Amino acid sequence: MTSGANGSAAVPAAEPWGIELKDVTVRYPDGTLGLNGVTLSIAPGEMVAIVGLSGSGKSTLIRAINGLVPVTAGEIAVGGHRVEDAGARALRRLRGEIGMIFQSFNLAGRTSVQNNVLVGRLAHTPAWRTLLGWYRPRDLDLAHRALARVGMLEKLYNRADALSGGQQQRVAIARALAQEPRVLLADEPVASLDPPTAHTVMRDLSAINRDLGITVLVNLHALDLARRYGVRLIGMRAGTVVYDGAATGAGDDVFEQIYDRPIRAEDRVASITGEIGRDASTGEPE
Amino acid sequence: MSTVRYETAALLLPPAPARWPRRLLAAGLTGLVVLAFWSAAVPWERLADLPGEFLRYLWLMFSQPNWEKLPDAMLQTWRSIAMAWVGTVLGVIVATPLSFLAAGGLGPLWLRAPLRGLFAVIRAVPEIIIAIIILSVTGLTPLTGALALAVGGVGTLGKWGYEAIESAPTGAAQAARAAGGGTAQIVRWGVWPQVSADFLSFWLYRFEINVRASAVLGLIGVGGIGDMLASYTQYRDWPTVGVLLIVVVIATMTIDALSSRVRRRLTEGARRRA
Repeated sequence: MTSGANGSAAVPAAEPWGIELKDVTVRYPDGTLGLNGVTLSIAPGEMVAIVGLSGSGKSTLIRAINGLVPVTAGEIAVGGHRVEDAGARALRRLRGEIGMIFQSFNLAGRTSVQNNVLVGRLAHTPAWRTLLGWYRPRDLDLAHRALARVGMLEKLYNRADALSGGQQQRVAIARALAQEPRVLLADEPVASLDPPTAHTVMRDLSAINRDLGITVLVNLHALDLARRYGVRLIGMRAGTVVYDGAATGAGDDVFEQIYDRPIRAEDRVASITGEIGRDASTGEPE
Repeated sequence: MSTVRYETAALLLPPAPARWPRRLLAAGLTGLVVLAFWSAAVPWERLADLPGEFLRYLWLMFSQPNWEKLPDAMLQTWRSIAMAWVGTVLGVIVATPLSFLAAGGLGPLWLRAPLRGLFAVIRAVPEIIIAIIILSVTGLTPLTGALALAVGGVGTLGKWGYEAIESAPTGAAQAARAAGGGTAQIVRWGVWPQVSADFLSFWLYRFEINVRASAVLGLIGVGGIGDMLASYTQYRDWPTVGVLLIVVVIATMTIDALSSRVRRRLTEGARRRA
């Protein structure tokens, strides 16, 4: 069962948000330049693949958008709300509207899948309720629907660390969906997964963008994934945007320009074997 | 064709690490041991009597144990365990929030160093000294013992706690932050699930320690089996002392065995992978 196909359990989407970056520079405390004067405009509902080698600034870009990395100079606005000068409270509310997916899934392994997905409701629920674990029926319902969407509802009461990598990433996607996000940020979401599972997760993200209309920004370093699942392609090198255009038209020459070196075999994930061997290769437990 | 062939030329080895630091350390340690024996002024001539004396006391205690004291011994053991339990619970209540405040990245920076200093100072003071200090306020009651164990528990539980928090994976906390969680929510759903099994295990281990310590605390007269043991040793009533020892050893070993079994399940459960 392809997880994205479960349309009946779709989470009702809020109006998607666009993202505006104006001359954004991020300098880390150790002096490294993460972003160097990046200006970008991403329309609501776009599906953007950001590619670049490690250290190119694509992870910094993603993390600056939800304020996990503070901006040194410039302006960032998400859905018209300024990120870089938002107070702690405003920033928390803003993050509540922005889902995030990580390379290492970032689940609390020792607790249930349900508890992990409910983390997506933290910004939308009174704090005392979340601290006591007294979530409202609506929060639980949203969590369950999000899990159903990625085909993981049956694992509701399983411990998160009892799942395979691909399953954990799908739970992490459900956690982001439970936020009813207007923007979804994915930082190398498939870099820790084997090729067939990587394609499954990318299809999920693609379906979320297509069916729910949510703006999706996904960091990738594999050019075939970027070409296949991205609609718009942004290439980054040394903290600057070096390519911005359609993903479908981007040939190997475009990637050689972004990477500033010839394409190698390891730049591709390949193996679009799809459903075949997905369960076997990820060793999903029953 | 797969025969491996080695170069016959001499290999260039990296320079060997210097040996003198290790030798200096060994010489220093040897000197310390010699100094310790010399300072302790061990009466070697009496060492020969030790096995004989030991056997004589064993005979005095266990040849004809005074089983009439068994109910009383069990009651006093129960009091000691109750003292240990109350001390554990009080220690946990105080230490748990403190260890979160003392953990790097969670508590305020200005509070971290004083808290860690407090834990270290408490750990440096034996429970029996803490009890003697508390004694002046609360008197010779089991409460004094429980409070001393609680204070001692804050020292160890606080340290174990912040160390566990700091070594726990930080991904879930990062995800909770990215989802818009406040500090309390991040701790509740990003940190606590990762450390709760460790904390439970620490609490049980501290209870084991407290059970043993509570018997010792009785020696200063705060009640429990230690108190009884001290009195009958002073009367040189060896058959009763024998019964008391049997009860203490069995009770302590039973609690140790049960508790360590539960702790093993907790830590193994934490590492469980499907």
